[in-house]
Amino acid sequence: MTLQRAGGSEECSTSGREYLAYFLHRHLDFRLPEIDSLIELAGQGKLTQSRWRQPYGKHFYSPFWYLQLPSDAVAQEVAARSILLKGFLDLWGEGETWEELEASIRAFPEELKQPWLQPHLSMKVIVDGWGRVISLEEQIKCHDRLEFIPFQNPVKLADPDITFRLIIANCYSNHGMPDTVPARMYFGREVGHGNRRVLSTYSLSKRVYLGPTSMDTEIAFIMCNQGKVRKGSFVFDPFAGTGSILVAAAHLGAVTLGADIDIRVLRDGKVDSSGKVADNWANFEDYGLPRPAGLIRADAHRPPFRDDLHEILDAVVCDPPYGVRAGGRKSQSKPDLQVRDRTTHITSTAPYSMGECLRDLLDVSARLLRMGGRLVYFLPAAPEVYREEEIPQHPSLRLVANSEQVLNARYSRRLITMEKVLAYDREGAAAFHAEQGDPRMAIDDIPAIVYEPRQYVNGKLVVSDKPPNRPKYRSKLC
Amino acid sequence: MKLLTHNMLSCHIKGVQNGFPFKIDPVKVQEVDADYDPDFLRHIFPRLEWKALCEAAATMGAPGLPEEVTEEMLQDDEFLRSFHHALLELVLEEGALICPETGRQFPVHKGVPNLLLNEDEN
Repeated sequence: MTLQRAGGSEECSTSGREYLAYFLHRHLDFRLPEIDSLIELAGQGKLTQSRWRQPYGKHFYSPFWYLQLPSDAVAQEVAARSILLKGFLDLWGEGETWEELEASIRAFPEELKQPWLQPHLSMKVIVDGWGRVISLEEQIKCHDRLEFIPFQNPVKLADPDITFRLIIANCYSNHGMPDTVPARMYFGREVGHGNRRVLSTYSLSKRVYLGPTSMDTEIAFIMCNQGKVRKGSFVFDPFAGTGSILVAAAHLGAVTLGADIDIRVLRDGKVDSSGKVADNWANFEDYGLPRPAGLIRADAHRPPFRDDLHEILDAVVCDPPYGVRAGGRKSQSKPDLQVRDRTTHITSTAPYSMGECLRDLLDVSARLLRMGGRLVYFLPAAPEVYREEEIPQHPSLRLVANSEQVLNARYSRRLITMEKVLAYDREGAAAFHAEQGDPRMAIDDIPAIVYEPRQYVNGKLVVSDKPPNRPKYRSKLC
Repeated sequence: MKLLTHNMLSCHIKGVQNGFPFKIDPVKVQEVDADYDPDFLRHIFPRLEWKALCEAAATMGAPGLPEEVTEEMLQDDEFLRSFHHALLELVLEEGALICPETGRQFPVHKGVPNLLLNEDEN
């Protein structure tokens, strides 16, 4: 077996160094796009200076990828924002057996090792198992096996100057999962590690104000990373609800703006038995984050912005309502209705189909985003009806990433990232939409797909040819 | 609601031609601290309707923003701080936004304006 060693390999034509990117084994589809976004955010342009190389074993879902980055500094900056990356390794060697690993480390250029093996730099060596737990006894044996490396560094366990990491991937039991990770050992110097700490700070279980559709903290931060949200960004969530995406954006230093058609969720919040109010403002106050520039009750179908407003936002990050846990609503027109008192009148709303809602979302984003600004949103996708061609398009927006998160056997959702590449042209956009015709999507049936009772016989799904008999909730009797 | 938001909104009642800017009826105004970020201010400035911001700030009890802004002023710390204060530190807690054309009042309660149009206004 030939060794694939990092550094100076012929496959890498760009400047800089190759690092091992090792990930948490979750949200598998989201991992590479997140790093791509963060590389761009770190000012490294459109990935000209960075390049992925396939993991050993060439499985897309392997957590061990190779990545070309310009410098340690960039690697650290990228890692410091990442939710799904454990860290980058300046990889000194790898192999299937100890003999291979040792040969590989010995072959790694001396001039790249020596600067880190100096007595003035304290160090520790971490032994990390992937797919299995490594006992303390075994860890000590591993340390002994690494003694051929001429370490001169004093050992310091708390906050050392350098952390070396030995990762032993050995999945002897896959629990029925596909075999994504061949057995292999990796050894290198750690360069930056991920940013999982924010997840406990902003854990939903400790949040003052929550709702059934509050965005999971981990996903909210990934969404903001996809949106390249940073200090001084202006971020808008048109379906803000309990503000969970805006909390993440505010933590990253953004000025935030939220809208929602449901005024109870957006403004009123909840009052507990002691009379304490838990609402959107309370969350921001509790975390010590700056209040949003605005929370407005408005209809996404009729955006309340002045007509000449454009290119003001850096990112639109949201989770549109798609009717599985909360359905979309929009305002409706009844010109003949007599409103007696506008201060007490309760406005009725009409259902808002997914296709229509997304067309509106793309259009307002295309208008209000600056060039290069990003729209990040979740698109529901049931495997039986999902078609890539159905992902909504807009002449001003380019699709950047599309990552699936499987929720259950019946449906998943896809994190769609789009980037503004062309100035907004109102007539052009209108003509584009007219040509596309009815915005209805197959996925508009998602509540029926998710909730439809299905018949299983002997554990097998029975598929009927007949159209399902779905109750018509909102129709009149005829 | 901060005045940055006010500067973006307009009245969308059917048939209204000049729905911007909303007049403000301030019943309760709060001052909150916000992070001072000169780069954000310089970046957002060209997107704003400056006159509307000046008038809104005056209504909210912070008069004195200059009518014209020059390139040099956008480098001046004293000016930027007053701009920052008007844009991000004045909060309309209670009151109303009033459509300049029809006089329709959109109530602001707990800092949240209710801009949803009624069925006969759409």
